Amino acid sequence: MKRISIIILAALSLTAGPAMAEVTIDGFLQTLYGGRIDESNPTATEQTASETRMQLRAEHYGDGVEFFGRLDFVYDGADSSRYDWELREGYMKFRLGRRFDFKVGRQILTWGTGDLIFINDVFAKDYRSFFIGRDDQYLKAPQNAIRADFYSGLGALSLVWTPRFEPNRLPTGRRLSYFNGVEIVGEGSFFNPPTPEAKFENSELAMRLNRRIGSFATSLYFYKGFYKNPLGVVMVDETMMPVYPKLNVYGASIRGPIAGGIIWIEGGYFDSREDLNGDDPMMPNSSLTGLAGFERQIATNLTANLQWQVDMISDWDTYKAQREAAGSFVRDEIRHLLTSRVTRLMYDELVNLSLFVFYSPTDEDGYFRGSVSYKYTDELELALGVNIFEGKNQATEFGQFEKNDNVYLKLTYGF
Amino acid sequence: MRNLTLITMMLALLLATGAVFGQNANEIMKKSHMAYYYAGDDGIAEVTMRITDKRGKERIKEFTMLRMDESDGGSQKYYTYFRKPSDVSRLTFMVHKSPDGNDQRWIYIPSIDLVKPISADDKNSSFVGSHFSYEDVSGRHWTEDKHTMLSDSTIDGRGVFVIESVPIEDDKSLARKVSYIDKENYLPLLEEYYNKKGKLERLFKAGKIEEIDGFTTMTTRSMENLKKKGKTIIEFSSIRYNVGLKSDFFTERYLKNPPRQFIK
Repeated sequence: MKRISIIILAALSLTAGPAMAEVTIDGFLQTLYGGRIDESNPTATEQTASETRMQLRAEHYGDGVEFFGRLDFVYDGADSSRYDWELREGYMKFRLGRRFDFKVGRQILTWGTGDLIFINDVFAKDYRSFFIGRDDQYLKAPQNAIRADFYSGLGALSLVWTPRFEPNRLPTGRRLSYFNGVEIVGEGSFFNPPTPEAKFENSELAMRLNRRIGSFATSLYFYKGFYKNPLGVVMVDETMMPVYPKLNVYGASIRGPIAGGIIWIEGGYFDSREDLNGDDPMMPNSSLTGLAGFERQIATNLTANLQWQVDMISDWDTYKAQREAAGSFVRDEIRHLLTSRVTRLMYDELVNLSLFVFYSPTDEDGYFRGSVSYKYTDELELALGVNIFEGKNQATEFGQFEKNDNVYLKLTYGF
Repeated sequence: MRNLTLITMMLALLLATGAVFGQNANEIMKKSHMAYYYAGDDGIAEVTMRITDKRGKERIKEFTMLRMDESDGGSQKYYTYFRKPSDVSRLTFMVHKSPDGNDQRWIYIPSIDLVKPISADDKNSSFVGSHFSYEDVSGRHWTEDKHTMLSDSTIDGRGVFVIESVPIEDDKSLARKVSYIDKENYLPLLEEYYNKKGKLERLFKAGKIEEIDGFTTMTTRSMENLKKKGKTIIEFSSIRYNVGLKSDFFTERYLKNPPRQFIK
């Protein structure tokens, strides 16, 4: 018996040895508990989060090809569908010749220069996660995409093709309330607008040309797809249904070192393809938006940044007349948004204090994110955080979430 | 006449030795810098950092480090691929270091696919939470200090030059550094960092020194912070020199796609 097992083992090791290359597996286990502060929030649950999550990461690379998988399993006590899982990432990476890189599969995509302000980054965001204290990585929702990067003397040309439109994940009313055009709603107003049909013409295309000029990184961007938020409305059987209107974005950015810090400037034109003249009250008007930011270390272990965004809506007069006639909120023609992030590291970088503020003087609303985390050991991290929304008007970007103020506690064990 | 010749000769000799002595400290620090930070044209190593705080709690960081010299004693490029702890695994970090002090740093966070340049103004910041600063890891250029030879001494039976270095431009925390440089291989065996109050604040000690690919290499070293009462030990393993790293590897393309022929 013993001999047989030895033979089997030997045979296994012979066959499996060189062929069975190493797959690395790691990940984390995380619990997140959060509760709303505002009792008047019309959501179904008082718990903004009550979940245990296990993320498994698997990685393998062979000759010139790489595989990476990131799989989340969640028990979610604050939701009705209790067990959930998501393939956050699952892609292959390979190189064709010397100039082409490919990344194919489910992936997280980011570009552009803004800090939590996205202009040319028209990739899916998950605000449901962002507003309740999940890790930063959950702000980005994965897209099933094919990404090709071409490197030449001119710079790097990146092309991302997402065959099936991937929208932003917005509050649904279940645990985070939102403004439905009339009032702030929660329970019973489950919000799930239909996405564009699965046709090739409805796929998303994002492009970037990136080139270094001296120590500055400059980029040109193009996007063809849809607004990631359902900003349009169509009438179906006499009822209004939110939809994702067609969108093109053209933009540019520059980022680099200056005055002991980093400066970034980005601009983009949001071309609303279903409202070219800005006269359709059911569709969003085009807009021109730009931002400038600066970040620097202001003391050892203390970093701060400032951003200023200006957003100008086209055909504002028409827009204003239509909105006023409908008795809706009228935004300013030029909207300003200021943000600031302050990060303080303490006790040998074991404690991280982070503050982020959005404030719009024109919309008169704001959003404050604060958190403190402590790395108790290399594996265990404890975090406490708060999300506060303020707004004078319930129709503004942050004002609509004003009842969603919450606090959370998060424990993470990495392995 | 003969006397005059003799006096001239002696004077010349005196001047010459004087010049030699004056240059000596500077020359030694340059040689030391070259031996310590510029061995070979490039290099790769697996690095383990053991960080102990004042309560004796230990934290471990593991990463792969790639270095390439653009020119000897000149610009350098560094690439770091983190392995441990788990929350930073696969994160990459890149530095373009220039002797004029205008360094550029980037970080890539794979979980959000984010490339971010980092403002690199403060060189005294801790390197990944350790007791080594950024400057300790990639080197403070010898021309930034005024060096003076203090004496000769021995450490563990090895002859050393004892040299004092004072920052030419006022430095926030460092008033002076005393280095004990090995007379044979020019590696720093001991460094004492004094703060503005004249107190010894940090203490660097060389550990194991080995011959690798023909280069005398310090494979372990430690930095103790006497004020914070903490200590970091760095161990280098799987060291290779002159592996043929290209400038291309130190760009955004490779920051996002680690060169797998070197980073396994």
